[in-house]
Amino acid sequence: MFKALAGICLLHLTTIFFLFWAIIDDAWWFTENLYTDLWGRWVMENNDNVWVYMDIPTSYRKDYLQAVQAFAVLSCLFAVFSLCVFIFQLFTLGKEKRFTISGVVQLISCFCIMVALSVYTDHFHRDEKNGWYGWSYIMAWFGWLLTLFTGIMYIILRKRAD
Amino acid sequence: MLSVLALTSVVLLGIASQITAIVVYTSWERHALVGSDVRLSCSFFSWQWTSPDVTFSWHYRPDGAKEGIAIFHYVGGAAYVDNKGPFRDRLEFVGNPSRRDGSILIKNLDFSDNGTFTCDAKNPPDIAGRPSSVRLLVFEKVPVQAGVITGAIIGVVLGLLILIVAIYYLMRFLVARRVFSLSMSKHGKKGKGKEGSQQKQAGPLK
Repeated sequence: MFKALAGICLLHLTTIFFLFWAIIDDAWWFTENLYTDLWGRWVMENNDNVWVYMDIPTSYRKDYLQAVQAFAVLSCLFAVFSLCVFIFQLFTLGKEKRFTISGVVQLISCFCIMVALSVYTDHFHRDEKNGWYGWSYIMAWFGWLLTLFTGIMYIILRKRAD
Repeated sequence: MLSVLALTSVVLLGIASQITAIVVYTSWERHALVGSDVRLSCSFFSWQWTSPDVTFSWHYRPDGAKEGIAIFHYVGGAAYVDNKGPFRDRLEFVGNPSRRDGSILIKNLDFSDNGTFTCDAKNPPDIAGRPSSVRLLVFEKVPVQAGVITGAIIGVVLGLLILIVAIYYLMRFLVARRVFSLSMSKHGKKGKGKEGSQQKQAGPLK
């Protein structure tokens, strides 16, 4: 029982870690001498390995960028909140009951990061051919997958009579 | 072993201070209202100590122009501001060179001040570096500030969630009260019904 509990907590912590790293690190979009997004832009002018931190240019649609930022932050908040709710329910739930609320909160987090990723993919860097998506973007998608999986798992899981 | 480590780190530091250039920092863009003042900040990173011969120079290129003009120069402990060009009597040096701050203040902005301001800082002997530019955009009305929409979305979603949870618990509380009073009258009906069915069931058993 302890092993299962430790495994579930570890999975949830990995989810939170993925989401936080994806949102904090500015590595959603790469080109040869810049990597950028969500909060700032790292630019290497003149190919001399000197990286300069700059604001995101105003050519970005401000409302869409802020919507992506908002939903990404919300998904992190809900993922942490669902961990707290899970630990709370571990002690207060009756026997053979399901962890529905933790699952629902985790699925809200999944929805939020999905909205953020969809808006980002649809509205930014669509016509830029010489660039590629960076590790933060891919980690955000893994975060989406993990939140979906853990959310459904919490809804299906039953508290054992120990 | 420790002494070898210390020696290599000193040598590497010495080499590093030769090959890394001075790095100048400014903002990417500044937004300001017509008639207001704007502070353009400029700072630099250098492995050398701040020299007394540190220099800051600001250069202005209007939007659409091919070349620009020099508008400010700080050298030898004295600041020289533009007294002939478009910024005469409007430019003020508000930096602190000993703290690596070469910021300038431009007062009473006008639409003709839209353009690119370039800051070049030199910290002898660390002089190999690239100047950094900040674009100035002058507006009639301030556009939506950064973070307002983000904060609004987060606040609305969290508020809605709290509202839904509160309504849910309120409904449960209210229904519980009504169910309690309902079961009082239902209990009477159910009691009669149960007695009746029990009698019916007891009948065939007999």
